[in-house]
Order: sequence, then C-alpha cells, then structure tokens
Amino acid sequence: MVNRVLILGDGDAGTIMANKLRFNTNIKDVEITVVGKSKTHYFKPDGIHIAFKMVDYKKSVKPTDFLLNYGINYINGEITKIYVEDKFVTLKSGKNLAYDYLIIATGDRFVPEDIPGYDGEAKHFHDLQHALELHEELKSFKGGKIVIGQSSIPIMCPPSPYEFTFLLEEYLNSRGLKDKTELHYIYPLNNVFSIPNVADYVSKIMDERGIIKHTFFNVDSIDPKNKKIQSIEGENINYDLLILVPPHRGQKVITDSGLADESGYIDVDRYKLTYKDYDNVFVVGDATNLPISKAGATAHFESVYLANRIASETSGNLYDEVYDGSIACTTATGYERAITLYFTYNKPPRANFDSKMDYFLKWQSADTFFSSMVRGIA
Amino acid sequence: MYVKPDRVIDARGSYCPGPLMEMIKAYKQAKIGEVISVYSTDAGTKKDAPAWIAKSGQELVGVFEREGYYEIVMRKVK
Repeated sequence: MVNRVLILGDGDAGTIMANKLRFNTNIKDVEITVVGKSKTHYFKPDGIHIAFKMVDYKKSVKPTDFLLNYGINYINGEITKIYVEDKFVTLKSGKNLAYDYLIIATGDRFVPEDIPGYDGEAKHFHDLQHALELHEELKSFKGGKIVIGQSSIPIMCPPSPYEFTFLLEEYLNSRGLKDKTELHYIYPLNNVFSIPNVADYVSKIMDERGIIKHTFFNVDSIDPKNKKIQSIEGENINYDLLILVPPHRGQKVITDSGLADESGYIDVDRYKLTYKDYDNVFVVGDATNLPISKAGATAHFESVYLANRIASETSGNLYDEVYDGSIACTTATGYERAITLYFTYNKPPRANFDSKMDYFLKWQSADTFFSSMVRGIA
Repeated sequence: MYVKPDRVIDARGSYCPGPLMEMIKAYKQAKIGEVISVYSTDAGTKKDAPAWIAKSGQELVGVFEREGYYEIVMRKVK
C-alpha cells in the first residue's frame, strides 16, 4: 500500500519537510505531494542585510520547484479548506486532494491592517520588496529620530528587530550620521527580547551603543500626519523614520477550516507535533502556536523529528521519540559580530559572548541553506 | 477583595509571554470598568502581568494563588 503524504505549504517548513521525508522513505511506499502558491523561495534572514545592500538580493531567491528533490509532486495552487475528519483538502482550482498523512506547513502572514496608520507609513525588512524599499529610504536618510521594533508578538525570526538595530547603528556610524541620529528601540515585553538571559545580553549592548529602549510598548496606532507612534500602554514617540515589523497571524485558511481561532496559529502537541487527537495530522514551522521561535531553524529541527517518525510509521515500525523543542540560530550583533543560540523547551540558550566566527556562520547561511538545509541534507 | 470578572482568560498550559499577550488582547477588547481575570500556570506571569498593569496605568485587583495555577485580576480604568 502506498501512503499518501500531503504537505500544505511550500516555504521553509514545507520544502525541508518534503525533502527530508523523501530521503528517509522509499518512493514506492510513500507518495509525497507539496501544495503551495509561491513562485519563488526567498531566504528571509537576508532581509536585514539586503536593507543595507550587504548582499545581492538575487542570491537570496530561488525558484520554488527547483528546491524540491526528485520524487516529490508539486502543485502550485491555493488551498481553500482542510477537512481533517474526512482526510481531504480542497483547492481554489476545484481539485480535491485526499491523504493518509497531512502535514500543515502553511506559515503565517503579515496583517498591517491590524494597526491603524501602518500602511504606507512604516517601513520594514521582513520581505524582499520592503527590504529593498527600506534600502532606498536609508540611502536618503540625513539624520533625525528613528524608531525601530515590532508591533506585537509573535513575529517570524524574533531576534531580527535587534539584529537590524545593531546593523543600523553601525551603518549610521559609517556614514557619519550617528551623532545626528537618535535610535529608539521598542519592544512589547518588559525587556528587549523574550528570553531573559538573551534580553539582558542584548540590552547591555544597546546601552553601550546609546540605543534608547522603550519596553512594554505594544503598538496601538500610528499617526502619519504628526509622525507619532502610540502604544497600548499610553506612551507616544515621535519619529522621522519608523521601521516596524508588522503584526502577524496564521493563514486565513486555517481559521476558515476551524483549526485555530482568529490568530490563525494551531494548537499542537509540543512533543509529537500532532493536531488534537489526529495521529495523522501534523503541524510544523510558523503555523504552530508553540512557545518557540517562528523561524526556518525551528522548521528544520521539527522536520528532522517528523521525517524520522513518518518514515518509521510507514515502514510498520513504532516510533517513540519526541521533539524536545531544539533550535539553533545565529543572530547578528553588528557588522562582524554574532551570537549563536541553541536551546530546547527546557533549556534556555547560553548568551555569554558574541564573535566574528559566529558572524561567519550568519554570513554563509543563505548558501548553506539553499545547498544543503532546504534540500534535506543537513 | 475578589471581584467577579467580566472576562476570564484561561491561559493555563501556555508559556511566557502567552498569558500576558492574551491579557493585553482582552484589555484591548474590554470596555472601561470591565474586570479581566487571567489564569496562568507560568510563574513568570505572576511578575510580568502586574508590571504591565502598572505600566499601562490600569488597576491591579489582585494576584491569587489557586490550586496549580495563578489568577491575575485587573480592572480597565482607562
């Protein structure tokens, strides 16, 4: 009997999952189909570099189907509803796809409309188009007050706002604009990051570099006319340039299918990555509401576990391993400094020092990602 | 003194900062004068939620230790 594995989503999570599973299973036993609507696959962590033209953006993009290994079916289409009870999915084209195993890897999306005044006023670096636009904005910046941060929690790549802030501080220095600029960093929690010891480390660097911190700042609205951002907590900050990661939600199809509330993030078993009592429905990547980073690195670690599990089960074997929340990621603290964080559900990362060697890992990561990680090799 | 809440957020099992973000979401939706109660099994909420309530100028009704979880009760005053 051929087991049909249907993977929803063609971003990092869906692609890595498909490739890893293909490596681990026999093509005669397991049929893998990926459904998604992307034409290209963008390496999102490069956004912080593209905004400063530190990398050529063309190297951060590959055709989506090119990244899927031999033996994987790919359907470029939009998912309209997921029926977990009846084990099928409908597409906008009218096609129905039945499955034995379903892997939801639909990621999340930006919802700038959740913040009045955001559209057309705030800049960001979380997708290619906006990173390129931000580069143009920074080129013409002559000094003033910059407010940087994120609107709310969660967002993809949680360290990216502080990474960008540190790179921006050095960029302004290199252009002789540091003395003419005030940098204000806003964050929704009572520190500058969600993991306490990393937050303390990052906070110290911000102090050393004269970055002004505003904590417990959950964005309520933006007043483009008066160049003012207001928090739910009642604080107002004026700005000349606003760089703000937009609010995120899970995909609408997830909410429409009754798999999550209006946030769109799916409640999953943190150790098995299963949805409710369905032992054939799994969720990986940004689509989950797990209390860990929404990042390609997370999808990568989850896929290692899940590919092993499905390969084992489809071979008729028991699999009693669990996903322990492992993640490793390297985050920049400046032009040539970075810190690598490794952690699990129960073990917080060590944040003792940043180094040039760690930055080398960060710098190489697009090449490493496209040549090995996304291919399911690493 | 315990006040009967208008909204109850059961965030038990959710990890930091989940319960706090749920409380902030409920605060946004509530009318002035409404009382919001948050249940949390995450010990961090016991410290973070009152700190947020103080920062935003709301009223902390109380932090109560229940059987296996904490209950944080606030009133939206502005």
